[in-house]
Amino acid sequence: MRLGVDVKKNVIVTISSDKGLCGGINSTSVKISKALHKFSGPDKETKYVVLGEKAKAQMVRDSKKDILLTIAELQKNPLNYTQVSVLADDILKNVEFDALRIVFNKFHSVVSFLPTISTVLSPEIVEREAESGGKLGELDSYEVEGGETKAEILQNLSEFQFSCVLFNAVLENACSEQGARMSAMDSSSRNAGDMLDRLTLTYNRTRQASITTELIEIISGASALEG
Amino acid sequence: MASNAAVPFWRAAGMTYITYSNICANLVRNCLKEPYKAEALTREKVHFSIATWNDGKPEKPVLRSDTPED
Repeated sequence: MRLGVDVKKNVIVTISSDKGLCGGINSTSVKISKALHKFSGPDKETKYVVLGEKAKAQMVRDSKKDILLTIAELQKNPLNYTQVSVLADDILKNVEFDALRIVFNKFHSVVSFLPTISTVLSPEIVEREAESGGKLGELDSYEVEGGETKAEILQNLSEFQFSCVLFNAVLENACSEQGARMSAMDSSSRNAGDMLDRLTLTYNRTRQASITTELIEIISGASALEG
Repeated sequence: MASNAAVPFWRAAGMTYITYSNICANLVRNCLKEPYKAEALTREKVHFSIATWNDGKPEKPVLRSDTPED
């Protein structure tokens, strides 16, 4: 499985929720992030940026050394682009990367989510790939107007792309989280109802058995007195 | 890497393109008239807490809240 572009410094951005009770989606995100880390090989550097308390709790257990940033309380206000772009700005300023892999759950339907990886490349890598041809080489066929050079435009676009991709990922993950929570709560309600039914039957049976035992004792005691 | 053209003023001041476009968007939102303006300003609320980690140890988290330009 090729990861697309070969880079030296990978930074994995894992998106998860702050609140619990949402089923297994946070564990799948963490599992995929760890698999990506292991997959990138011994001579490449891979670090984590973790969004959300749930993934942080799981990552801290065995990948503490590789965490660069953790972000919490992201969902206190309804999600908007400004908040995510400030966050993206912080990440850009504090993190050196060749490629950013954003791991999130894409919303497919209320009961199914696809764990997805979105990649954002840094401008230097985009230049390198553009020169070596392939799909990114088609960037050269675009005309650049105005006084800006291609390198500047690439840098602006790359920052904006990161911010937009992060916003998309955060929204899709929030949707998936709500759907997962709905189905998890629904199935746990159903399980609790089933358990309640089973236990009620057992309770009734036990109650009847103990009443029968008492009756037998009373009757045999009474008949022993008579006879 | 030598740059032939002058960088735009905002990049020379240390801002990224994201910060620049956010400031522009804020200016546009402030141009709206009253009921729409309040709604638009709710779309600008920022609140999160970020902690950098050094070598497996988290430092004190920094709370960034409520001003989009911070």
